Amino acid sequence: MKPIKLSELVDQISDAIGNRFTGKTFWITSEITDVKKKESVRRCYLKFIEKENSYINTEIRSVFWSNYYSEIENFEKITGQKFSDGLKITCNVRVRFHPRYGLNLDVIQIDLAYALGKLELEKQQTLERLVKENTTIIHLIDGQYITQNNSSELPIVFQKIALITASNSDGQRDFKQEIENNQHNYIFSIKEFLTQIQGDNASKLILQQLKLIEKDKENFDAVVIIRGGGSQIDFKPFDDYDLSKYVAAFPIPILTGIGHDRNTSIVDLMARQLKTPTKVATLIIDYNMSFESEIEDLKERFFQGVEDIIETSKNNLESIKRIIKSSSPATILKKGFAIITSNNKIITDPKNIKDNTQLKTILKNKIIHSTVTKKTEYENQFDI
Amino acid sequence: MKTNLTYSSVYTELEKLVEQIEDNKIQLDTLAGKVKQAKELIKFCENKLRTIETEVDEAIKDKSEN
Repeated sequence: MKPIKLSELVDQISDAIGNRFTGKTFWITSEITDVKKKESVRRCYLKFIEKENSYINTEIRSVFWSNYYSEIENFEKITGQKFSDGLKITCNVRVRFHPRYGLNLDVIQIDLAYALGKLELEKQQTLERLVKENTTIIHLIDGQYITQNNSSELPIVFQKIALITASNSDGQRDFKQEIENNQHNYIFSIKEFLTQIQGDNASKLILQQLKLIEKDKENFDAVVIIRGGGSQIDFKPFDDYDLSKYVAAFPIPILTGIGHDRNTSIVDLMARQLKTPTKVATLIIDYNMSFESEIEDLKERFFQGVEDIIETSKNNLESIKRIIKSSSPATILKKGFAIITSNNKIITDPKNIKDNTQLKTILKNKIIHSTVTKKTEYENQFDI
Repeated sequence: MKTNLTYSSVYTELEKLVEQIEDNKIQLDTLAGKVKQAKELIKFCENKLRTIETEVDEAIKDKSEN
């Protein structure tokens, strides 16, 4: 028997595989692992695996070539989930055999509906569990999640803020810039609680920061959770059961600017969602401004009231002056009336006036001195 | 000025003053005092919104250092 060259055998294998698989594509659902993204050349290497009781019984290498690399980017953008080890995806593949590199699956499409559906299902299950297991702090009413946290009363002003964010992130910068450069010159005291905000441990780390804040709760008006800018992926930490539950029961109002318009995370639902870091900052500034304008209104009403009181008092004083003036002796004398005195006392009752009493009749500019010769009864004709 | 003022206590007090003045419950001879009080309350709010509370910052710092 004459041995053949390796390449001849491999050619035969290649032909056999080619005959069976050329031009055909297959939809598979599988877990991925060993994901290696080469962004510079827009290529991604990975393995598909299948397990039985955590033992891998099937494994095959796979590649996203550069013209299909956008499938990964799209997946991350739409699902908000990082394309990484441990994910289960449904995708369309071609079988390819290379004489040197062997058998491979080329991925040409990822089923986003499957990915989204799976994520949504997981999220829905977490939400249901949250409502079911925390009946005193989370209620589902008309499609809205009413929690202890998002229904708690807001402080009258936001000034002392605990900021949970990743250090040197765009979100942190956006928020601080907006809040520090506000046009009203409001000053805020912002204490930063820096932590990782993406990745496997993020939910636990954020939870730890919340616990730190809670120890100091009387020193904060609000907690702000900011995650924004940079990549639009990996929102999973914010769908975590334990973190969401803690947020729902948290004693200080939590405002989230997790920065994703398409997705609302569970943490967003448990707290007050503002979507972006800038929007959180704007809300805080506007909130304080509306308090200040209420004070401004009170101020206006108060000083209007003061003016009114002074005006009324002035008017009262004027009319009192008029009354006094019109009843003063000078006015009376000018009108032709006279004052009669006896022994320098004004006579209001003629009872004690007898004949020969000395009287002074005071007129406008003269005094007439006289002696009484006769006193007679008289009917008052002037009474009106 | 009292040091234990808060935004909400100031708001309530100011509201009360406005009510008194609008209902003509303030005597002319106490008016000056009320005006002074109102001015102080308003100033407190305007200043506090624009002033950092160093005591708070220090308290936080002390706690986290311990």
